[in-house]
Amino acid sequence: MVTYRLVGWVSAYVFRRVSCMSVSELLGGSGVWCGAALLLWSAAFLVGVCRRRYSGPILPTLVLAGNVCLLLVAFAGGTRTVTLPLPWFIGDAGFTFVIDPLSRWFLAIIGLIGIPVTLFSPGYLQHLRQRVSLGFVWAALALLMTSMAGVVLSANALVFLVAWEVMALSSFALVAADHEQRDIRRAAFVYLGATRAGTAFLMTGFLWVHHLTGSWSFADWGLSGATALAPALLILVGLATKAGCWPFHLWLPIAHPAAPAPVSAIMSGVMIKTAIYAMVRLFIVGNHIAVPAIGPILLILGAISAFWGVIFALLQHDLKRLLAYHSVENIGIILMGLGVSLLGTRYGIPFLAQLGLAAALFHTLNHAVFKSLLFLGTGAIDARTHLRNVEQLGGLIRRMPWTAAAFIVGSASICALPPLNGFASEWLLYQGFFNIARSGPTTGARFGGLLLMGWLALVGALAIACFVKAVGIVFLGVPRSPQAEKAHEAGPGMVGAQVLLAVLCAVLGVGATSVLIPLGKITALIGDSGSLDGVWTLPIPLLAVVLVLTIGAIAAWMQLLARTRPSRVFITWECGFGDLGPRTQYTASSFAQPIARIFGAIYGYGTQITVDDGKRGHFPQSVDAETTHEAYLETKVYMPFLQGVQRVASVFLMRLQAGSVHQYLFYMAVVLGLLIWVGVRG
Amino acid sequence: MSNTTFFLVVQAVNILLAPLLLVGIIRKVKALMQNRVGAPVLQPFYDLAKLLRKSQTVSKNASWVFTWAPIVGLAVGLIAAVLVPWAGALLPADWAVATNFLLVIYLMALAKFFSMLAAIDTGSAFGGLGASREATISMLVEPTLIIGLGALALGTGSTDLLTIYSAPINPFIAVLVGAALVAAALAELSRMPVDDPTTHLELTMVHEAMILEYSGRSLAIIEYAVALRTCVFFGLAAQTLLHVWPGYQDMAMLSRYLVSLGTLAVFGIAVAVVEGVLVKLRWRSVPNFLAFAAVLSLLAALVAAAQI
Repeated sequence: MVTYRLVGWVSAYVFRRVSCMSVSELLGGSGVWCGAALLLWSAAFLVGVCRRRYSGPILPTLVLAGNVCLLLVAFAGGTRTVTLPLPWFIGDAGFTFVIDPLSRWFLAIIGLIGIPVTLFSPGYLQHLRQRVSLGFVWAALALLMTSMAGVVLSANALVFLVAWEVMALSSFALVAADHEQRDIRRAAFVYLGATRAGTAFLMTGFLWVHHLTGSWSFADWGLSGATALAPALLILVGLATKAGCWPFHLWLPIAHPAAPAPVSAIMSGVMIKTAIYAMVRLFIVGNHIAVPAIGPILLILGAISAFWGVIFALLQHDLKRLLAYHSVENIGIILMGLGVSLLGTRYGIPFLAQLGLAAALFHTLNHAVFKSLLFLGTGAIDARTHLRNVEQLGGLIRRMPWTAAAFIVGSASICALPPLNGFASEWLLYQGFFNIARSGPTTGARFGGLLLMGWLALVGALAIACFVKAVGIVFLGVPRSPQAEKAHEAGPGMVGAQVLLAVLCAVLGVGATSVLIPLGKITALIGDSGSLDGVWTLPIPLLAVVLVLTIGAIAAWMQLLARTRPSRVFITWECGFGDLGPRTQYTASSFAQPIARIFGAIYGYGTQITVDDGKRGHFPQSVDAETTHEAYLETKVYMPFLQGVQRVASVFLMRLQAGSVHQYLFYMAVVLGLLIWVGVRG
Repeated sequence: MSNTTFFLVVQAVNILLAPLLLVGIIRKVKALMQNRVGAPVLQPFYDLAKLLRKSQTVSKNASWVFTWAPIVGLAVGLIAAVLVPWAGALLPADWAVATNFLLVIYLMALAKFFSMLAAIDTGSAFGGLGASREATISMLVEPTLIIGLGALALGTGSTDLLTIYSAPINPFIAVLVGAALVAAALAELSRMPVDDPTTHLELTMVHEAMILEYSGRSLAIIEYAVALRTCVFFGLAAQTLLHVWPGYQDMAMLSRYLVSLGTLAVFGIAVAVVEGVLVKLRWRSVPNFLAFAAVLSLLAALVAAAQI
């Protein structure tokens, strides 16, 4: 077996190299655990690749252990730089990694989400066994986690790009896992195209910055002035594409629903956040690319993303697609935080810069927690009913009580309802906006700050509408299909993962002051340490206790009243027409209609009603109502652009690549000649 | 008597009596305007006592959400009523941090989230209809509330309601925000011209459609929570408008409290008159009505931003 021999050779080689490294360098706490995570994930990758049909407990255990190691790194202290003594080089940069408070924050997110997702996956993947090779999924998952950790640890642009590309490819493989379905193949290609375009921008930007600074190391990338604008914008476009920010978000609602649910959880919860990490690293902390225009750009793109994501989410019937659009919304909220931070720097208010950064990073963590919780809940429903269309679900709260409870907690959290975690970070962002309104230099800026507060309130209220729709139609009422009728609770691993994340939502919300301590270490990178100490004024723990006690007291009183007058169970009021069926319930489309109509102009919202009266006038035999909408950005901007590209390709490229061997030999000779000429000259 | 004890006693009495009394006043004035004698002003108290003593009917489709939503609603209503300085009797200063207006508005959203879910829980189309409209209204109202209160807060630089209302407010901003709050409160509390609380056709209702399935003690606590919210919202609007009057800030606590209650009663009468003479807006015109409130808030924000 060539593969096994290769594995043996590689591991022997790595062992020899690593044992050469000085012991002190490796045993610096974080380094060891990083190495352990890398080894565990490499092992999982190799086992998964070699045994593609494997479905035992070893692979989940390896991946889980890797995540635990990562969490240990995250909670260790200090800043370290590690250069791997590998024999080959990429360009003139070494394999250098840096562990500082910022990368630790993101490592914590990867580990924190990785653990429940790994617990959830074995149970979930069972129902995909016929179509997906499980060993392969685990291998790709291990690779994805390794590469995400690599992205947030890399100290120079080349290592970053390598990890970034591995991340893109491994997630592409995961999106395409169930590739026998046509839709999924299409989604995977859309995703691949988007990541290619994003990386092209990013790479061009990196090359440009390298040209300006003469270094690949992020630590040397201190640029400012007019020359930095163009490369900064290129990098921004590349990162915004990965993050799924408007108007580069098109791939996100296509790719995320196609992947298996745990993968969607990782992609939505963690992977797109690596772009946020890169933005913070390159534009905000340390020796960074200082371009004043980036702040307002992020603020505006973030504001549009947040609104755009939520109004499109409102119209979705596919539960996973709905959640994917909410990722666009939350990325928008995070970007607004980064925008506030950059505006703070621009206005010369370091406190505001720190506040915005803290809000953005806190929301990054919170979104990772509640979004992965919601995706896992969708996965549990999918595994039990094979349905994702909300209009066919209903009544699951009786059949899947734990999943329902966890999903409700996650929904309340994403709607920023206190005392859960979404509220904590959005409150910080509100404080950021309020500080702009209070100490902005111009009337326009101050008015803008208040306007942004209202904008965030609008987005929040829309999110509530959307999640009332999702929870109400999916979990409450009566089942709308036989599959939903027959659903039963998911297995212990799947439920445990969701409960874990739901508890985390509450803990991060109530314990927001403790979360601000590691955040304070990150914000200390851009200003005085300790200036955020007094920013959190809300007595949330006390309030949570009072709320629970009040609820308990009222419930006890109700119980007392019920002792003498018990409740009577009867049918829902049906105006005297006999018992109601599942089809007489309110639908998701109807629920969204009033809001969709208000914003109808944005997406050409329309309703077609067809009445078939069978020539009986006022006694129709059937009435059909259908709502339509159109994403103008896709149909009016991207499609014509892509068609143009195709047209150009068919005119020019097809001539170049006509299948003639002579022609190809000619190209090779020309390229070879060019290379020799460049070499001789240089 | 120290201020804290005074406050606690007053607020407890307020929370027990004022909300239902306000509802009673509104109903009485409406009856008088329609040439009816009407029920006694204390009728809401009798109704509440009656509902609490009755048994309740629960739909067979209902889950725990249906049972717990009214309880959460009442708990949030009580907490909001304690924290918001709606009756002018200001809280002890060290409570200020808990009166953050964003916290209060989002707490109320928590209650609303559960009440909307409970409306869908029974599988009744009326509930879904009401919840959908409620979601739409709160989407239109919340930005207005937050921009308006944010404009008020710019003066003191604190987002705590207690701090905001303990300091003088620019009268121009106070008038604009006060008017916006009144309009927003009418929509938020499902009153005319947005929603008719006394209608008997389910299809036209918002709030009543949502609670259609409730009866007995659950209905009682819902009614009480609504009355509490009415007091809190109208009280907030009243406090804002009272700040236009320069002497209000310097009054003794007791007289400020009495003036506030008097203003609330005037609000109740005004609401009754409005409901007596106006017709309910078509559902599709509601956004236009709330756009006025939003514009008032935005104007206040502009003035506040220019003045700093």
